[in-house]
Formats: sequence, C-alpha cells, structure tokens
Amino acid sequence: MKKMLAGLAVALLSLALCFSSALAEDEIVFGETALITGVFGFAGGELHEGIVDYFNYTNENGGIRGHKIKHVFEDCGYKVDCSVAAFKKIQAEYKPLFYSGDSTGFMKAINPELKATENTLMSGVSYATNLTDAATYTRSFIIGPSYSDQMAILLTHAANEQPGAKIAIVHSDSGFGNDPIKAAKVKAKELGLDLVEVITTKSGSVDVTTDVLKLRRKNPDYVLFHGYVLTPINEFMQQMRDLGLKTKFMGTYWSSSELMIMKGGPSADGYLGVMHLNYFDMEKSPGKEWDAMRAYNLKVHPDKASRPNFYMFGWFQGMVWAEAIGRTLDAGKPLTAENLRATINAIENWDTGGIASVPVTFRNNSIPVGRIFRANIAKGRYEPVSETITIN
Amino acid sequence: MDWLFFIESSLAGLCTGAIYALVALGFVIIYKATKVINFAIGEIMMISAYFFLTFAGIFAWPLWLALPAAVVSGGLLGGLTEKTIIRPMLGESPISVIMVTIGLSNILVGTAQIIWGGGPQVLPGFLPRQPIFLGEIYVSSKIAFSALIAVAMLICYLLYFRFSRGGVALRATASDQAASFSMGISVPRVFNFAWIFGCMATALAGILFSASGGLSPHSGGMALAILVVVIFGGLDSILGALVGGLIIGWLETIVGAFWGGEYKMLAIFTLLTLILVIKPYGLFGTKEIERL
Amino acid sequence: MRIADAVSSYSDDEAIFRTRTQRVWMGILLACLLAFPFVVSPYLLFLGCLIGIAVISATGLNILVGLTGQISLGQGAFMGVGAYTSVWLANQFALSLAVTLPLAGLLTALVGVIVGLPSLRVKGLYLAIATMAASVILHFVFVHWESVTAGNLGLNLQHAKLFGMELDSDFKLYFVIIPLALIAVTGARNLLRTRIGRAFIAVRDRDISAEVLGVNLLRYKLLSFGLSSFYAGCAGALWAYFFKVITPESFPLEVSIFYLAAIIVGGMGTILGPILGAAFMTLVPEMLKVLTLLLEPIIANAQVHLAPMKGVVFGILIVGFLLFEPHGLAEIWRKIQRFFRLWPFKT
Repeated sequence: MKKMLAGLAVALLSLALCFSSALAEDEIVFGETALITGVFGFAGGELHEGIVDYFNYTNENGGIRGHKIKHVFEDCGYKVDCSVAAFKKIQAEYKPLFYSGDSTGFMKAINPELKATENTLMSGVSYATNLTDAATYTRSFIIGPSYSDQMAILLTHAANEQPGAKIAIVHSDSGFGNDPIKAAKVKAKELGLDLVEVITTKSGSVDVTTDVLKLRRKNPDYVLFHGYVLTPINEFMQQMRDLGLKTKFMGTYWSSSELMIMKGGPSADGYLGVMHLNYFDMEKSPGKEWDAMRAYNLKVHPDKASRPNFYMFGWFQGMVWAEAIGRTLDAGKPLTAENLRATINAIENWDTGGIASVPVTFRNNSIPVGRIFRANIAKGRYEPVSETITIN
Repeated sequence: MDWLFFIESSLAGLCTGAIYALVALGFVIIYKATKVINFAIGEIMMISAYFFLTFAGIFAWPLWLALPAAVVSGGLLGGLTEKTIIRPMLGESPISVIMVTIGLSNILVGTAQIIWGGGPQVLPGFLPRQPIFLGEIYVSSKIAFSALIAVAMLICYLLYFRFSRGGVALRATASDQAASFSMGISVPRVFNFAWIFGCMATALAGILFSASGGLSPHSGGMALAILVVVIFGGLDSILGALVGGLIIGWLETIVGAFWGGEYKMLAIFTLLTLILVIKPYGLFGTKEIERL
Repeated sequence: MRIADAVSSYSDDEAIFRTRTQRVWMGILLACLLAFPFVVSPYLLFLGCLIGIAVISATGLNILVGLTGQISLGQGAFMGVGAYTSVWLANQFALSLAVTLPLAGLLTALVGVIVGLPSLRVKGLYLAIATMAASVILHFVFVHWESVTAGNLGLNLQHAKLFGMELDSDFKLYFVIIPLALIAVTGARNLLRTRIGRAFIAVRDRDISAEVLGVNLLRYKLLSFGLSSFYAGCAGALWAYFFKVITPESFPLEVSIFYLAAIIVGGMGTILGPILGAAFMTLVPEMLKVLTLLLEPIIANAQVHLAPMKGVVFGILIVGFLLFEPHGLAEIWRKIQRFFRLWPFKT
C-alpha cells in the first residue's frame, strides 16, 4: 500500500507541475467550468465557443482598455464535485476576476468558497431564482432574467394579449423544472389569469398521452413549458395540434432555441419564447455588435453559418464581464470584486449593439427584462412580437 | 371519478406496457441463456434509435428497409458485445458482470456523443399521427401503433422460441447448460444468439420509445423502469416479462395521470418492494432450490 | 530480503502488522499524509479530501458487498441520508460535528437495516434492484419532505464546528477527514479479525452453510447492512460539510454505481481494495483532463474535441480492469509485492 501511495504522490506532484504556467503582468483572467459533455453538452459546447470567440475577438481588437484576456477552463459535464475541483484549481493558480459556472448546484455549492476568494465574481448557465437573493449570493449574478422572471414575463405577455386567459403549466420533475413554479402560480393570480392545470412530468418520460388528455379537458389558452429543452415539448405540441386544440405554446430560455424550429415540426409554429438576447439569425440586423459577432464567427468558423442562441449566451456573458471591467477602469477604480459588483448593479439601459434584445438593466443580481419571440417555422427563425417587458 | 379519463389513461398505459414487455423480453432472453443482467440495455436502445436515425434520416432509406436494418444492427451490436466483453467474464461473480455492462453503457453514451453529437434529436416520423377515437375514447395513434408493432414482434418471438430449433436450443441451455452441451447443442453459439435476439427486441423497443420520447445520448435512462418490470415478473420468466410489462406500464401511467408525474417512479418501485417481500423471485420467476 | 514470516501464535498470525518493515512503512505513510496538506496546492488538497470521503464510503460498501456478499445499489442514497441528517441537525441545533457525524451515521445505519430487511428473503440481483428501489424512494423523500430537506432548493450549511473551532477551509477539514478515514479503515480491518467478520465471510461464501454452522443469518445480514450504512452516513455527512450544500440531485444513482465500481476496480473483499479503488476512481477523471491538456499542442482545441472521449475511456477502464484483472488493483499490488519479495529467485 505504501509504495502505491508513494507512487501516487509522485504522480500527483508531476500533475501539479503540469499546471504551473506563467502569467503576463497586465492580463485579465477569466475562468470557466465548461459544459461540453454531459446532459446539457449540446448547449454547453456552443456556449463555450461563444465565450472563447468573444475573448479572441476582444483580444484581436486591443483587449479591454489595453488589457489582454486570458481564458482558462475545464470541462466537467455537469458534475458538481468536478466543477468545485476545477474552480479550486483555477482559483489557486490564476485568481480569475470572473468565473462562469456550469450548473445551479455548483453555483450554490461554491458560494461560501467564492465569497472567501479575493476578487472573483461568478455568473453562469444557471437562471435559478435563488441566485437573485443578493444578500446570500454576494458574488454571483445571473446574465438574464431568473426562471421566475422568465415565467412572469411570459405570463405578463399572455395577460396583455388576452386578459383572464386560461393558463396551464407543464414542467419537469427536477430542480430545474420545479424552480419557478411557486412564483409563477402567485404571478398568474396577480395578473388575473386563470391557472387551470399544473402538470409535472417524470424526466425521461416516454408517453405524454395522458397529460395531453388532461390539457384537452381543460382546453387552456396558453400552455407554459419549463424545465425541458426539446422533448417532450414537441410531442405535446404535435398531439395537441392533432387534436385540433388552438392553444398557444410558451417556453423559457433553454427551450426557446433554434432546436424548437428545426426539430419541432410544423406544430411548433407560433411557439412563444422569452428571450433577453437576440438570435443569431434575424431578418434585419439589430445592431453593430451583432454584425461584428456574425462576421467574426464566419471568419473563425467558416463551416458554421448558423448558431443556436446558446452561442449568443456565451458571447453576451463575455460582453457583460468586459463591460464591467471597462466601466470600473474608466472610473479609475481598482478591479476588486466590490467595485465590479457595484459597477454591474449600476448598469442601466445599456445598449449592447444588438446582442441583447432588450436594454440591459441589472436588479437583484439579474436582468429582469425580456422580450417575447415567436417561432416562424416557414422562415426558420424567431421574430420579436412584444415590446420589452420588465419585471419589478 | 372520471371513468372516461381512466379508460383513456389505461389504454395509453397498456400501450406503453406493451413496449416495456418487448424490452423485458429481450432482457429475459439474455438472462435465461447467459445469466447476465444487462445494465446497458437503455444504452443499446439509445444506440439502436440512432442507427434508425442514421438510416432513415441521413441516408433517407425507406421505412421498410431502415427499420429492419436498425433492428438488425442493434442485434449485431449485442452479438459483438457478447463475443468481446461478456464471454471472457464467464464464471466471474454476477456483480462483476453487472459492472462490465455498466462500463459498456459509459462507452456507448460517449460514442453516441462523438458520432451524433450531444443535442436532442427527433426521429423521422414513421408512425401515423391521426388521433384515433373509439367512440368517446381517445387513443394517441403514435403510441397505439408502437404497441401494435411491439406486440407483433412479441408474437414472432414467442412462436419462434416455442417451435423452432433455435428456440428449443435456447430453452435447453437455460435449463441445463452441461446437459445441452452433451446433447450436441453449441452452448457458446446459443449465448451469442441470445444476445443477438435479445438486443434485436431491445433495439426495436428503443426505436419505438424514441419515436415519441425523443432521443439524445442520455436517453438510456428510460430503461430504469425495465429493471422493475423484469424483477417484478421474475428474471427468467418470459410470461413474467409480458405480464410485468403491462402491469408496470399501466400502473405508471395511471399514477402519473391521477397523482402527477413525480409519483411514477415512487409507485413502481414501491410495488416492486412489496412484491419482493411477498414473492422473492418475482411473480413468475423460478425459485432457486438451494442445497448444501 | 525477507522470505517468510515466522509466527508462533494465532494472535500473531492475525495481527494487523506482522513485521517491523510493515510498521516502518506505515509510519512513513502516516508522515506523508500529515505532510500532504502543507506542501500541495489547494486543488490537490481538495482531491485529497474527496478521496478521504470516498475511502470511507467505499470501505463501508465493501463490508456489505465484498465481505458479506450482498449487492447494494443504495450507497449513494445512504450517503444522502447521512448528509441530510447532519445538515439538519447542524442547522436546527447548531451542533458540533462531533455530535452530528455519529448521529448521521446511526440514523443511516437504521435506514440501512430497514432497507436490508428484504435481504433475508431476496438474494443476488433481486436484492440489488430492491436496494435500488430503496434509493428511488429515499430520493423521493429528499425532494418532497420539504419541511426538513427544503425540496429541490436544497440546504445550505455553515462551516463545521468542532471543539469550538470553525472548520472553514479544506486544510482544516483535511485533518478531520483523513483521521476518520484511517479510523474507518482500521475498524474494517479489525472487523475481519472478529467473530462478526468471520461470520460475514461465511454468509458470503454460502449462507445456508453458515446458518448450519450457527451463524444467525438475520442478525448478521442486518448487521452488515447497518455497519455499511453507518460508514455511508458518516461519509455523506462529511460530504455535506465539505461542499456546504446538498440538494436531492447531489446523490443520484450514479453515486451508488461509482462506489460499486470503486470496490470492484480496487478489489472486493480486501481492505486495501476500496482504498485504492476510491482513489483511482476519483483521480481518473482528473487524469483524463490532464491528458487532454497535454494533447493540446498536438491536437488543436483538444480539451473541447476530446471531451466526449472521457466517458468512453472511463468505460473502457472499467471493462478492461474486469477483463484483465478481475481481482482489482489490490491484486496488482500484491503481485508487485510478491515480485520484490521473490526478486532474486524468480526472475
């Protein structure tokens, strides 16, 4: 046993040596636990490329006020202990200013650790409602509306379109799926909507017939899906359309991606998604940054003419970080977590040049602003149908 | 109580149950012949569905060619698995063999991700979509036709094992390997055939599941209910697989319909625990007689 | 060079350390473990703690699976019970780790005994699925007993307190986890030398024979479940103190499979096996990451492109071990030892 452990120690030491590398003086370091493998790998991979491309693009254009960006990451495939390990490794070596987390579980788990770090702030793929608790999560923020706010935006849109409409919510039985349900129930009541049915589905469920039957009996005007990416939303939509229901379908960020248009079939036409970003593919250019992003993507990845909006997420996250650093530097303040956080909280009606679909305003660690986009199957893209909706 | 809803849900449940029964049958065939619990069954379903996606979606083969080709590919994958990693484990403890199949499932998930990417996929629609009404009663045609295909396959299997030479060899091997070997049955070949046939049933069920449930490298988790079905029915009982599949499929759907989806797993696993306390070898499993 | 050990009594034969060389090496190992946190980076310290926790849980599972021969797929859920118990106790009553840890262990042991009840009638693979049923039911409890577990939101935990000291860093926790792991392993080693340990092995090898020989199957099977779950509960409690947050998704079925894999890869039924297996299984994903990093200069963007390969390699490692060294790392270690012992004679 002892020899084995001695060997192990040697292996570990050599492992430690592999990671030591020099850091230039004026570089700004960003860390990331990427999500390239695992259940959400298909989204995480795009997101990661979005971040990387944004950093390379920025570096090629002179960096952030002259500071070059160094980006370090590790893939963890949605496993909390691995993410924590990666965070500690990157933290010990680079002390990044910003770090992108890969799951709600990780962002909760790392919070005490994060608060104890010198200067690291975190955002990531999680829109979990908890993270808006600014008193507990002093170093984390959400790059977008929380799940509860996303639901609230959808419900507000429904109430605007059709006051007193009948609403049904379909969500998955997971931490992700259950997150905004309580808040959504309260919000629906507040808006005077009639919440007729809340359906919980087992994750990995095959047959949705009985749930469709329930919805058929209640005949809601809107069905809100949350906690899914594609399946079983497409199956619900198809069966309900086949039954001749005129219900409108709505969904939150992760399901409002291009996948719904490409793979949801004709029954997905008219699907309404809430989005704080613009899509990669739009009828007319929403702004200069958006053009620059597309041009840069084409330059670096000539084979990828189109990108799902997870890529936009990555790009936007990088932009927010860079903006926070740029504004703090402009104000002549040192780059500490407190200053950066104050800068982020002070961001008000920031025009992102077409990357975000709304003017960006931070409240409670998040951007409680969104817009409703409508899936147009014939054209294969989403079109904005509402004005900016802000949740207070 | 809404009886119409109950009947509609029951029908949907029994349809799901028929597909469960098909997977369970594949599982039991393998177990009967080789005494191997195949934890990679969900991943074999998943890979087979990807085969179908490739044949029907990417190569654009017609359905009559793509479906059998995918099923046969799934079977061959099973045969290959048996030859390369299950055969050398002969005589090892059952837990080691289980672990090998778990290792295999890791390999299959990673492979699927490398070849087809990690994103969710939708199989090309090959099942009719027009809703069926039996009087007042609504049946989703997708699941109904899936069930019909599953039942057809089940009947073929049952007839084959009852009347063909191969079926007799399989049953002989299941009851006594040494005796069958001395009667001239090539037991290693029976092992291989059991895996091929078992995985073909699994493959078909995987395609049917994915046709309505969607497909991603991680959709192998759908097979968790199958473990309940086979243990409930009795690991080595074909009748158990059929009855168990229908009961579990029905129960799961009814519980989901009346209590909510979060109770599905709880209900079937509770039923499983109860049955194990009353009948330790499942409903129809062979009771092992132990001698000193 | 040493050819054989001369022992003159049974107690000598059963002693934990039979030669002075062993004691010396053990002393060196302890010194290394003691020095470890002072010299390594926080990342390696983190891994060290993680391995310590995994060793405790794997050693516990080995008592049940390796020694008593009862297959369990419930280890992850048992760890969850321990984790929730300790967090709840610590949050409600501000208890110190010295109190919550044993209580978490005891409650988990109780749950383990209840889950073990079917083992009296059900064997082998049926039992494996029955324990899996228990873990599904426990998971349901974690999600839906909201007054205690806070449902899907999960529970947060303050820094552990022990004897008035705040364990606010991995460095401090290391000095709790590693001694506990040592105690756990020593406990398991000593168990083997007692009537209980021998009874476990008798049950494993042939339970009916054991019963004929006067081993009370009811008592020993349940005792094995209880002991194993006690270890799992303690490991789970440490896990909670270590990560400071638990949600129902912290302990999925994969955790149970991870530990099963760990003891199989390490070598079932041995004391060394679970230790090596736990360390190996924890380090493999990290090693694979290092490997992809090293490949970065050769293959552009290797970290991204090779990411899915990690799952494949992980699977191949498990399968490869079982095919080529079914008795695990412990057996490989024994072969190395034998080689050195017989070195000049056998080449």
